[in-house]
Amino acid sequence: MNDERPEVRQESRQVERDSQLSAMFDGELASAECELLARRLVRDEALRGQWSRYALIGAALRGERGVKLHDKVAHRVQAALSQEPTYGDASTSDVAANSTRSNSAANASLGDRWMRFARPVVGASVAAGVAAMSILWLRTQGPDVHVLASTPVTESIVLQAEPGDTPTDTLIAQAVPQPEPAPVSNGEPERYSTPAPSSQTSIAPPARFATYVVAHSEYSGPLARRMALLGIVGTEAQADELAEADAAAAAAAPGTVAPGTVPPNTVPANTARGAVDNAP
Amino acid sequence: MTTEESDLVLVKRVQRGDKTAFDLLVRKYQHKVVKLVLRYVRNPAEAEDIAQEAFIKAYRALPQFRGDSAFYTWMYRIAINTAKNQLASRDRSPIAYDLDLNDPEESHSVQTKLQDPDTPEGMALTEEIRGIVNSAIEGLPEELKTAIVLRELDGLSYEEIAAAMECPVGTVRSRIFRAREAIDKRLREVFEGGLGRTEEMV
Repeated sequence: MNDERPEVRQESRQVERDSQLSAMFDGELASAECELLARRLVRDEALRGQWSRYALIGAALRGERGVKLHDKVAHRVQAALSQEPTYGDASTSDVAANSTRSNSAANASLGDRWMRFARPVVGASVAAGVAAMSILWLRTQGPDVHVLASTPVTESIVLQAEPGDTPTDTLIAQAVPQPEPAPVSNGEPERYSTPAPSSQTSIAPPARFATYVVAHSEYSGPLARRMALLGIVGTEAQADELAEADAAAAAAAPGTVAPGTVPPNTVPANTARGAVDNAP
Repeated sequence: MTTEESDLVLVKRVQRGDKTAFDLLVRKYQHKVVKLVLRYVRNPAEAEDIAQEAFIKAYRALPQFRGDSAFYTWMYRIAINTAKNQLASRDRSPIAYDLDLNDPEESHSVQTKLQDPDTPEGMALTEEIRGIVNSAIEGLPEELKTAIVLRELDGLSYEEIAAAMECPVGTVRSRIFRAREAIDKRLREVFEGGLGRTEEMV
């Protein structure tokens, strides 16, 4: 049976609120509740009257001789304070709040206008940043070239194979790693070799770069997009040329192709790369 | 939360520009302040004037109040200083009436003032309220009466009362509230029956 009629609920709430008022008067109410009730007290004259009577009950109980049990002092103080300034002036606060609102509105419109002009610039900056990052990324691949140069890599041996060598010699050469080059005083490797086209991972970053540019095309200007795409096309063309050169070299010396490897120009670049990566 | 913290909530509201919160503090402490000032001046009307002045001074100084001490402690000092300054400015003893004691009529008036310096209406009202409160207290169940007396007369905290009455703090809070409600109900009846009009006359 539910006896929670609205008037019952309201009465229950009022009893709870009065109980809180009594506790607040004694300084025994939790801080958060105290804040809420203080807010309520400010706008509820009846509640303030109750607060006043609680004070009066205490004074009456204490039997303070000569103390008149009324709110005359409070009324007079209230009247006198009406002439006094208000701290943290509410009107000033309102004005300040309005001012803040209008300022923020002005700032918002200013921001809109600024964004209208700045958007292409920001887009170009983002595109330039991406381009710079890709260049830096490519440059960080430089040390890999050195590593390849100083490490006995299969491809380097293949490139050094002479037409007169037999496949067996080549295979032996592949099986026997080259001795470590003696460290050079200036840190430079003794010899340089060009990494095989299949190991040229520069094709993959432009692909990712292209995805990135497409995904963020809304932030980049048309010029920046065009430049980025041209860069990708140029890189891919270079990769194709290198692949063709490799194929030609392989055709000139068919016996030098290591067993189990596939000429790079016959398969997609990433497959060729994988084959080399997995090579012993 | 203590009384100090509860008052501090109201003080901070005043500092943020809420004058009504200060009115709540005045309503809460006006009787105590008047009683305090009555140690220095024996005329209740004068004590009320000084109390009023002290509260106005407190309001003006409130922006400097940092809550290092309780609001009432701070108010207490202001009230005492105001009373002392008032006495010093008048350069007289706490009780002095500039009256001609040879005049029988005035002499009778002085005697009346010394015995009961307040107006009859004011005192009647006060006595009436006191009578209502006392009779209401007498009619309360023992546990409610004990709780409200320990709180109002002995000034014990809820926790101390709970320890004294061997019951939970929540029960103490409920008992004090119910006692106040019972007394307040009687007061409201009387105020609505004309006590409020007497107050306005005062």
